[in-house]
Amino acid sequence: MANGISNKSVVLSDIRKSYGGLEVIHGIDLTIEEGDFVVFVGPSGCGKSTLLRMIAGLEEVTEGEIAIKGRDVTDLDPSERGIAMVFQSYALYPHMSVSENLGFGLKMARTDPAEIERRVAQVSAILKIDHLLDRRPGQLSGGQRQRVAIGRAIVRKPDVFLFDEPLSNLDAELRVSMRIEIARLHRELGNTMVYVTHDQTEAMTLADQIVVLRDGRIEQAGSPRGVYEDPANMFVAGFIGSPRMNFLDAEWQGDGTIRVGEATLEAAIDGGSLKHGERLLLGVRPEHIAVAEPGPERITAQVEFSEYLGGTRYLYCQLEDGQSLVVEQRDGPDWQAGERLSFAVPEDRRRFFAEDGRRLR
Amino acid sequence: MRTRREIRARKALWDRIAYHGIGIGTAFFFLAPFAVSFLASFRPNSESGRPPLPPWPISGMSFDAYRALDSFGAGIWQHMFNSLLVSIGTVFLTVAVSVLAGYGFSRYRFPFKNALFVLIIATLMIPFQSILTPLFIILARLGLNNSLVGLMLVYVTLQLPFSVFMMRNAFDAVPKEIEEAARIDGARDLKLLVRVLLPLVMPGIATVSIFAFLNAWNEFFAALVLLSSNDNYTLPVLMTAVRAGRLGAINWGAVQAGVAVMVVPCLFVFLLLQRYYMRGLMAGAVK
Repeated sequence: MANGISNKSVVLSDIRKSYGGLEVIHGIDLTIEEGDFVVFVGPSGCGKSTLLRMIAGLEEVTEGEIAIKGRDVTDLDPSERGIAMVFQSYALYPHMSVSENLGFGLKMARTDPAEIERRVAQVSAILKIDHLLDRRPGQLSGGQRQRVAIGRAIVRKPDVFLFDEPLSNLDAELRVSMRIEIARLHRELGNTMVYVTHDQTEAMTLADQIVVLRDGRIEQAGSPRGVYEDPANMFVAGFIGSPRMNFLDAEWQGDGTIRVGEATLEAAIDGGSLKHGERLLLGVRPEHIAVAEPGPERITAQVEFSEYLGGTRYLYCQLEDGQSLVVEQRDGPDWQAGERLSFAVPEDRRRFFAEDGRRLR
Repeated sequence: MRTRREIRARKALWDRIAYHGIGIGTAFFFLAPFAVSFLASFRPNSESGRPPLPPWPISGMSFDAYRALDSFGAGIWQHMFNSLLVSIGTVFLTVAVSVLAGYGFSRYRFPFKNALFVLIIATLMIPFQSILTPLFIILARLGLNNSLVGLMLVYVTLQLPFSVFMMRNAFDAVPKEIEEAARIDGARDLKLLVRVLLPLVMPGIATVSIFAFLNAWNEFFAALVLLSSNDNYTLPVLMTAVRAGRLGAINWGAVQAGVAVMVVPCLFVFLLLQRYYMRGLMAGAVK
């Protein structure tokens, strides 16, 4: 039991934040296990950065408690929390050389100069920036600056790393390589990392645990696979995945089937609470829809246009009642705009949502 | 038939001649007054009444003018010291106050912040000559009349609105994240200000320093009114006092020497800080 407690790295209990009378974070409860890589995702304005900044101590907590490694840090100064943060804009000190940037935190903590030098050398070797130590941030490229910013975090040996959209200032290619770099660092250092991003690919590839936020509330927290394949509600289902999940209007038939346009589909949900003819939504991801022979279980739609992306192809279709449907295809013939196709949706890939967004199971 | 390469070379040559020619011509107009004044200060007494051209001494160099300047009051070194004391004191006090005020206005949230800021800026619209009498009375009450410290305080007061404005802009231009990164690194309060922020607002400080120095160094009216004893005169006041020659004639030689002496520190300060000063004026103009 004692072991169980010490495994918790960051514990947020009923965290709230208000600006004046306006509450923007509405009671967040979250436990982050030691060594986990947790990613906060959500649309802009959902409070993910604010939450991270509250963990860092840069933003005051209106109510609730933050504990890091079992220690209540809610009212502690940022430097005393055992955290380090990497900012989107790098926030390097422009008037200091790279090695001074790396050693600044240790210097402020009155670390022995020889020890500072040793740790700076060690960190710069890990990040392969040892040849840049005498340069100023202004003389570095974006990727190099980001490495220095990460190095500045590592050198302090924090309990928790905080990343605030660290890659969004980099170009696409560099973003991929830095993403891999961060994953490698997490594997090597084994520290707890909390990472804020709006980029789904980053979230899916890096995270042990994804926390989806909306309007200052946690919508779902779980593994990337759990969040993707078993979304808790329509918001999560629509937010995670690109192109987003298709949502089609459907009607509950009362006998375990639903009606979508002309098609009748089996729906493996507990329909006890549903009335006959009640409206609900069928959610299907584009990659789970396949072109098939016509039949009663087939959804028919007209191809509007298609996007060819090399490995995959997206067909943008329209149902008879005007609803749009995106279908991903790996191979098969080219379809021309205007063609009418029948689509099959495997039964285990169907997700059902009530009109208010609740998941129906 | 000339080749295209030759045509291009000729064009480049003409471009260069025009570019440097205009540059040298402009520089000439700016530098000529300095040269005229400086050369004229070496004329002997007998020549000081001559027309300004040619500006150089005809019958050999002489330091008569500098001797005349030095013979007045407590000697040129004392007055130079007075001026330097007031100017450098003004610079340090102005920078110290405006850095703190600018930081406060830029970073902290407090009630009536903008109203207070506008109020400070609004004082720029009051011509200081109009408040000289009350200032005189206040200084007299404080026992600071005819004192260089009193004069310095007056200069600092006059310098502050512009300086606070300048420093607020300088701090506004420093990204918040840098300050936050420093807080995470454990730098707080004064340490944060001195170790991290001060180097970043150096251009602003240089601008404020140059303005404070030049204004205090050249200021005449307040010094004339507030200083009553000869020994305390700053250089501008000394210049008017020394100007009066015999029988109502103007001692042009002494004036030229005074100008030469006064210009040197200004040039020195400007050349020392101009690299920062240019950046300071540009700050915030373009993101």
